[in-house]
Amino acid sequence: MTGSLKRSWILDILMLPVGIVMFFPFYLIIVNTFKSEHEAISRPMSLPGEWVFDNYKQVFEQTPILQSFSNSLILTVCSVLVMVLIGAMAAYPVVFNPNRLNRLVTLYLLAGFMIPFQTTLIPLFQLMTDMQLVNKLYGLILLYLGGAVFVFFLMMGYMRTIPKDLSEAAIIDGCSIWGIFWRIILPLLKPITVTSIIFQAMWIWNDFLAPLLFLSSRSNATLVLEIYKAKGEFTVNWPMFMTMTVITLVPIFIFFILMQKQIVKGIVGGAVKG
Amino acid sequence: MVKFLRYLQYEVFLLPILIIYTLFTIVPLIRSFELSLTDFNGYSTDYHFVGLKNYIKLFSDDAIVSGISFTLTFALCSTALITVLAIPLAILLDQNFFTKHIHRALFFFPSIPSGLLLAFIWGFILSPVASGVFNTILREVFGLGAQPWLSDPLLAKLSTIIVAVWAQTGWHAVLYLAFLQSIPKDYFEAAAIDGASRLQQIRYITLPLLAPAMTVSVMLLLTGGLKVFEIPFALTKGGPGFETHTITQVIVLRGISETQFGLASAMSVVFFLIVLVIACFQVTMMQKREERIQ
Repeated sequence: MTGSLKRSWILDILMLPVGIVMFFPFYLIIVNTFKSEHEAISRPMSLPGEWVFDNYKQVFEQTPILQSFSNSLILTVCSVLVMVLIGAMAAYPVVFNPNRLNRLVTLYLLAGFMIPFQTTLIPLFQLMTDMQLVNKLYGLILLYLGGAVFVFFLMMGYMRTIPKDLSEAAIIDGCSIWGIFWRIILPLLKPITVTSIIFQAMWIWNDFLAPLLFLSSRSNATLVLEIYKAKGEFTVNWPMFMTMTVITLVPIFIFFILMQKQIVKGIVGGAVKG
Repeated sequence: MVKFLRYLQYEVFLLPILIIYTLFTIVPLIRSFELSLTDFNGYSTDYHFVGLKNYIKLFSDDAIVSGISFTLTFALCSTALITVLAIPLAILLDQNFFTKHIHRALFFFPSIPSGLLLAFIWGFILSPVASGVFNTILREVFGLGAQPWLSDPLLAKLSTIIVAVWAQTGWHAVLYLAFLQSIPKDYFEAAAIDGASRLQQIRYITLPLLAPAMTVSVMLLLTGGLKVFEIPFALTKGGPGFETHTITQVIVLRGISETQFGLASAMSVVFFLIVLVIACFQVTMMQKREERIQ
């Protein structure tokens, strides 16, 4: 017992410098939000000589950060909800009514894993322009729905563990196919739904390429896109930029702390199955 | 008839995903192949079939050649480094020490925010001026002069890889950790009774049992690395010159900014084939390795 206790302290000490290296960038951005522009450049690593709180006020006044936050939220929530729904719907006939056609459809959908977004980018740009979906949040939501293929795959794996008797009993009781899905199957999918939501929400919330290409106006920008645009404006004003970054990171950090277990389980689980 | 109706009722559930997937993935994929054989410029409807001309042009285009070479370098180097670091890290994080939960969270956290954001923060750290964070550390600790971290071709490439390693190692360590925790403790106890040292246990029990995790982790790292865009774009804008342009950035540049749709589509198709070949090769090789080890 004493042996293991001693070893644990050694590891604590050994891991400390590595932990500091990991945390260092976050320390830097937090500390520099309380500095003047000049001090951030000349003494980036030290604690502020004079604490400045004005940066926070200015970010809210000078950038549409709340607007972009709400854009990101709308985009993420709508895309993920619809994606989870159509992914779960698609898995239902494949698992509960297997036949040759459904096996073909499964293969067809799973081929999507091998197609990088970049490969379809040029024609997508053309398609979105033709359909007048550029610079519209709902246009981007439609585009993201392609991610339902991944949800379909997760759902299919999970649905196979639901006993078939359940739906057969319901049919005998006079429940329709439609009703079985909504009343029996969907509520049983809760664990895999949480995994899917976390996985897909983090993808969309953090995505940069698609908003960069398909959302041109500032009023439609997502949070990540707004940070990119602000970086262009604040080229030398690091404290302002860092303040914006901190404001963006705070909700993400809270989400992480609250959901840490589910996030780790969800991401790792999703990755292993994917 | 009743049976057929029921059958139809089931199939209706497939419609939404099939429509979306076909419209936004399959049609554009086919169209990419088609466009890559034309001189389409995005506007004029009068475009011509040019055969493989675009594919030949790829190899004389500086941006594209350096885009492919940097993307491959980045994918291979970051995958190798992260794998080499993540496995020992996972073994360490699996030990019982007082701050293990803090360390797990600390390593995992960088995988939560967008890579763009993290790379911007690192842009500040790697600032080339003498008072830049990293240059100050180098001067104070090692007495070295200021280095142009983001504007020297070699250093810029190295910087993007370092940032990617910092950002992703923790995530992959947690993936390995999940597999580690599923290894029955009896294995280690039995090995200890037989006189195996701690290192021997790692070499002959832990590492072989991590083989399936390694297949998954390496596959995600390789495909993710090939699709990389945000980290180099935010750190160096693809510079100096085209040195740190990624394939994605080149497709956007040639295709969307310069509207050379044909050329960019040819690049997209080549990219598709690169990802396909590398992913298939890696998974087959590593699954064979799994079978051999176990």
